[in-house]
Amino acid sequence: MASMSSPPKGLMAVCRRVVNNIVAVVAVPLAAAALVAVARFGPEELAGRLRVARPVHLFLAAFLPAAAVTVYLMLRPRAVYLVDYACFRTASNCRVPFSTFLEHAKQLPVLNERSIRFMTKLLERSGLGEETCLPPAHHYIPTYKYCTIDAARGEVDLVVFSALDDLFAKTGISPDAIDILVVNCSLFCPTPSFVDMIINRYKLRSDVRSMHLSGMGCSAGLISVGLARNLLQVAPKGTHALVVSTETITPNYYVGSERAMLLPNCLFRIGGAAALLSNSPAKARFRLKHVVRTLTGAQDSAYTCVFQEEDDKGNVGINLSKDLMTIAGNALKANITAIGPLVLPASEQLLFALSFIARKVLSGKFKPYIPDFRTAFEHFCIHAGGRAVIDELQRSLNLSDEQVEASRMALHRFGNTSSSSLWYELAYIEAKGRMRKGDRVWMIGFGSGFKCNSAAWECIEPAANAEGPWATSIHRYPVDIPDVLKH
Amino acid sequence: MVFEQEEEPAPGAVHGHRLSTVVPSSVTGEVDYALADADLAFKLHYLRGAYYYPAGDVARGITTKVLKDPMFPWLDDYFPVAGRVRRAEEAEAEGRARRPYIKCNDCGVRIVEAKCNRDMDDWLRDGAPGRLTQLCYDKVLGPELFFSPLLYVQITNFKCGGLALGFSWAHLIGDVASAATCFNKWAQILSGKKPEVTVLTPENKPLQGQSQAGAAAPRCVKQVGPIEDLWIVPAGRDMACYSFHVTEATLKKLQQQGRHAAAAGTFELVSALLWQTVARIRGDVQAVTVVKHDAAARSGRALANEMKVGYVEASGSSPAKTDVAELAALLAKGVVDETAAVAAFPGDVLVYGGAHLTLVDMERVDVYGLEIKGQRPVHVEYGMDGVGEEGAVLVQPNADGRGRVVTAVFPKDEVQSLRAALGSALQVA
Repeated sequence: MASMSSPPKGLMAVCRRVVNNIVAVVAVPLAAAALVAVARFGPEELAGRLRVARPVHLFLAAFLPAAAVTVYLMLRPRAVYLVDYACFRTASNCRVPFSTFLEHAKQLPVLNERSIRFMTKLLERSGLGEETCLPPAHHYIPTYKYCTIDAARGEVDLVVFSALDDLFAKTGISPDAIDILVVNCSLFCPTPSFVDMIINRYKLRSDVRSMHLSGMGCSAGLISVGLARNLLQVAPKGTHALVVSTETITPNYYVGSERAMLLPNCLFRIGGAAALLSNSPAKARFRLKHVVRTLTGAQDSAYTCVFQEEDDKGNVGINLSKDLMTIAGNALKANITAIGPLVLPASEQLLFALSFIARKVLSGKFKPYIPDFRTAFEHFCIHAGGRAVIDELQRSLNLSDEQVEASRMALHRFGNTSSSSLWYELAYIEAKGRMRKGDRVWMIGFGSGFKCNSAAWECIEPAANAEGPWATSIHRYPVDIPDVLKH
Repeated sequence: MVFEQEEEPAPGAVHGHRLSTVVPSSVTGEVDYALADADLAFKLHYLRGAYYYPAGDVARGITTKVLKDPMFPWLDDYFPVAGRVRRAEEAEAEGRARRPYIKCNDCGVRIVEAKCNRDMDDWLRDGAPGRLTQLCYDKVLGPELFFSPLLYVQITNFKCGGLALGFSWAHLIGDVASAATCFNKWAQILSGKKPEVTVLTPENKPLQGQSQAGAAAPRCVKQVGPIEDLWIVPAGRDMACYSFHVTEATLKKLQQQGRHAAAAGTFELVSALLWQTVARIRGDVQAVTVVKHDAAARSGRALANEMKVGYVEASGSSPAKTDVAELAALLAKGVVDETAAVAAFPGDVLVYGGAHLTLVDMERVDVYGLEIKGQRPVHVEYGMDGVGEEGAVLVQPNADGRGRVVTAVFPKDEVQSLRAALGSALQVA
């Protein structure tokens, strides 16, 4: 659009208004014309016409529209609401400063000088702060010796159960009122399952509909929300669904020296979130408007870009390919194309369509128009997968620093907490007092697959206070994150 | 990943060591802790302190988590202890090594968990030399100073349920009085009490007045080195720490022996006895180095090396033949103070066991104040690593305060003769 001469700003604004409300713009004059036409008949003629009409026709004229409306309302999927959510509040006795992480890594005989230097450079530029936390088993030297199933269950106890306790306290709901339970945790699948751990601990009912989504990567948080939503849409009103998103770090320490596989060791930290969803608006704080999932696994390059495999020595780890950013960018574009029509105002969609056509017809002369998503959302929660991911998204979506602040600060304070990072970012925005009634939030998750999932929320009631994972640290944020951390 | 078969531990040995790290609970930030000249004078020495807690209800309730959790806020106050040694970017003067300082990067304190298949009472009764090394993790600073913790805390669980806490503390960051106070503060946090504010000001002034390069070392210490990045006394004879009790009765006898009426305190009497005994074993010991804790001279800084260092010379008569009482009087009055000279000396020195047998006064160090959930330790012994071949003797209060605990740090091959000689000395004296 840059090559067109820019019409005066006032005219553009009026055009936008008109296009966004095109239905009203067309319908109101039509309805007015119809009313005027009927009024011209006069009351006597109207009464006369009614007396002549057959009763059956009158009955049908009244009944059919009413029936159609009723059937439509009944079969429409129920609206889904977020009652509240709670995140694991990291404990200071799990804190791992930069220097401690390196010192522990140095004690591992398998890591040589080169690997240590690589990890140092990575951590310096990672955007992580000095307060991120690792599970208790990872505070031991050497780490892998103490990463037992017991230790992993201990981590679940520490992370998930405390988040759930918080949530039950916040919402005042009792565990036996939970009808649906969806848990996503990629890399820890004990027997009995994760959901059974929660059922056992909180004594949930024997008819609770429970599912554990494992292996679905960092974007699984929104997959769980999507699944819970599908179940709530066809459930009776007043059904409660509990969604738990976490990643258990304990069993997944990579004990080799392959550099691409050392990345997860450096960036992943403990974290977890629990959210209570419902299909009744009572006490709800957000409304879930859309969940859009995009899977690009059909392409080989996307399928193999985050790949769990064994290295040369037989150590299992997750290999991240070099073109991860490009693939993420493509997945994002596909997701935007899917969610755009659902959330963008008509004016932006029209502009995007016009630009698309123009580029096709007059190829090469126009830059692709990036729809301004700030017209659709007030807040953005971008998965804090790493500094590069956030930078890439800021660039592709043309977002300001303030809009990606929640993501950067969550990465700094909590590290990459995988699927729960979106909830930490939402908690940041609320703790900062920036959420208002009616604000729309866009959550974007990325993960292995390669998947890009989006959810659109609308705020009904902002949080009353800054209680939550940011309670003790929000006053220090935002911080200026240096390009290279000095140590 | 293959796990090797765990070796069978030697019977009665401490085994099953598990290492982990504890860090300060909040971010310290970009802070450097300057080391004073007095601190650097002691950099080759390491305190090893063991605290024994009896089996019982209290010990049963003490898990590793209970001990570790209060350490996080404790290290917020004592953040230099969680730091690491670094060298300054530039050397102060030509030919000198770059000055060490502590980077307070929150790297943390190392915690060691271990087990012992013996009962604690048996262990204590044996009085084996070298038991301190088993209970205090045996590490020094270097060869990689960047990654060497300044403090190790070992938690040893005995078969009977008794518990021993072993602290390995780099003398560099503070003397035994600072160390004991530091550990007591941790115990106070554990018990839920709010400890006194930790004072780390005024900051150490790095350069306080160096003596001329090329000047001789003060008499009470021995010059060594130059030491590079492995801060331990150059290889000599193997040393061992041997702890024994001096009962109240023995002390009374020593006091009554003196013709000079009560001129000497308990430290002087006990040290004099040791001086005489060692002189008899070795042929002679003409002079001794004395390290005393002087409460009046302390600045109030929580971490400081402020013990008084000096020497005493037995002019004329040979100490092997002198009365204990006379030696005690000499120790009380005849100390030549060299504290400032030791601090100002630019080279690397060995204070303990360097130039002479070293006598360390710990009379007023409150070691029994380390109460865990109200339980006082039944026994505390402090030894040292990095002691020179001349040996060191630490005189400490015992549990009831009336007797004394003495830890002798001597070459391994001398310990037996010392034990034998003391056996008779302590009966007869």
